[in-house]
Amino acid sequence: MKQFGGAGFGVPRPMDDTATQPFCTPASAFRRLVPLSVAIVLTFALTACFPAVPSRGGGQTSFEPPRAVEPGDVALPDGYQIEAVATGLTFPTGVAFDDRGQVYVIEAGYSYGEVWTVPRLLSVAADGATTVIAEGENPPWNGVDFADGAFFVAEGGEIGGGRIVRIDPQGEVTVLLDGLPGLGDHHTNGPAIGPDGMIYFGQGTATNSAVVGTDNADFGWLFRHPEFHEVPCRDVTLSGTNFESSNPLTEDPDDTVVTGAYSPFGTPSQAGQVISGEVPCTGAIMRIPLDGGEPELVAWGFRNPFGLAFDEAGELYITENSYDVRGSRPVFGTGDVLWRVEPGTWYGWPDFHAARPLTDSDQFQAPGESPPGFLLAEHPNQPPEPVALLGVHSSSNGLDFSDNAEFGFEGHAFIAEFGDMAPGAGKVVAPVGFKVTRVDPDTGTVNDFAVNRDPGGPASATGLAGLERPVAVRFGPDGTSLYVVDFGVMTTGEQGPNPVPGTGVLWRISREGSR
Amino acid sequence: MRRARTNFGWPLLALLLLVACGPAYRGEPLYGPLNVSDPQVAHGEQVFDAHCHQCHPGGDAGLGFGINDKPLPGWLIKFQVRHGLGAMPSFSQEQIDDEELDALVAYLFALRRHDSAD
Repeated sequence: MKQFGGAGFGVPRPMDDTATQPFCTPASAFRRLVPLSVAIVLTFALTACFPAVPSRGGGQTSFEPPRAVEPGDVALPDGYQIEAVATGLTFPTGVAFDDRGQVYVIEAGYSYGEVWTVPRLLSVAADGATTVIAEGENPPWNGVDFADGAFFVAEGGEIGGGRIVRIDPQGEVTVLLDGLPGLGDHHTNGPAIGPDGMIYFGQGTATNSAVVGTDNADFGWLFRHPEFHEVPCRDVTLSGTNFESSNPLTEDPDDTVVTGAYSPFGTPSQAGQVISGEVPCTGAIMRIPLDGGEPELVAWGFRNPFGLAFDEAGELYITENSYDVRGSRPVFGTGDVLWRVEPGTWYGWPDFHAARPLTDSDQFQAPGESPPGFLLAEHPNQPPEPVALLGVHSSSNGLDFSDNAEFGFEGHAFIAEFGDMAPGAGKVVAPVGFKVTRVDPDTGTVNDFAVNRDPGGPASATGLAGLERPVAVRFGPDGTSLYVVDFGVMTTGEQGPNPVPGTGVLWRISREGSR
Repeated sequence: MRRARTNFGWPLLALLLLVACGPAYRGEPLYGPLNVSDPQVAHGEQVFDAHCHQCHPGGDAGLGFGINDKPLPGWLIKFQVRHGLGAMPSFSQEQIDDEELDALVAYLFALRRHDSAD
């Protein structure tokens, strides 16, 4: 700190100006310099005390059902209106429309916090009443799309591994692809039907940053699948960096293990070790034909590619949930990313964030932690530049593009920000997310589109009855309405997430006077 | 004694300004669109969103502290960008060149003033 209080820093330009005035003696100038310097030091002190302040995540609150819903508590740009289409949903994650424009939502059937229900596809009537079309048995259902007279759902695979399933309008479920590596922290996501008629989907990584650790026991899956680990899409050569941690798989509290990247818990790696790539893999976008088949790799090197959408030109965009400050290799200060996907490209995980190497600056080392360092001895390519960077820990998820002049902002991406999971994912000094943002892909500029009238977090934290945790967005068939899937209340704390069933909402945003 | 009160008054006032000068939120839904007709401000918005938004969303607090409600002069903002502070990283000339840094400060000043609906 002393460098900021030194003489060089205590001679700002305004003081030089006043020093030329005849009544300003050296002594009076000194008296003015002292308080100004102190003020500057105080200013810096307030912005430099990150390690000393407690986390203030949006979920760090308490909640008592029922959830109140009041559209007037949501603020929008001038000329837009919002209404609640359906309430009382349990962990909704996606919305889709059939050939007739009928609205459907899916409920995940699982939430972080190890709460299990039943995944469901629901038809939503005009009055908000829901009818069950299909039920599943392999949660979580993370997303839905409609094409060729049927629904396509990404099953996360927390227990049985990820799958892509087809659901016909009568509710019959057909498995198109199974065995996806979705047993870990992140699941099978999407899907989005491309202009080429293929089913595109995302597969999240098993871990935060490629090393299995005690944080994965906190998630629950390390006890269920202790051999599970990352699977690269192409051969990778390791740097041989290993990490020591305690061992929650034994009763001995002093037991420790050493674990390497892309390896099972307790298995060290060697410098120069080659891990064979295979498909399906973790941290990737893949695709299959509409009637099923072997997965084909589209792009890799993502952490958790959650939202997928094609713009009007047919370009694929995805949102990536970026690193957390947890586990054996915590990574600090990495915002979620909006990517334009170039087929065949590696996007940087686990050694880069948004085209910047994790060794490049002081940005990625968490206070009090070791710097992340490289896990790979060589990198497949220099990762591309991102389209836009979103809030650190914002959990930027589902997205869609406006293509309708009546709605406005044609060509812009609308992104559902689920909101931070602090303190488990990492500390924040104020809530992040809990809103819908708008991104201009040509400039990378980010603007809020739908926020609570008290923008300081989810409705449950501010005493309002607006948005909780937006998880997906999709424009209706005519493009004049933006549907927002609100997962519902999930509080967080030192004991982890606490999701509340029956608090999900489907919202609809349109231009005033359009309905 | 009198001079001592004067010397501590300014820092105290600065401290009060820093912690109690209103909310840092400036988003369009509550305050209307920011006027970016000045090309330098528009350029600064892109610089901000590429480098600053992720920790200070819209200039509000997030991972880092809010910056819309801090009365820092431009030269001090530039110093902090170049040198970092605490958990905030530094940004080199290669990451944000001097022209971009000028634009960034112009944008931050415009954002700071945008505290009521147009």
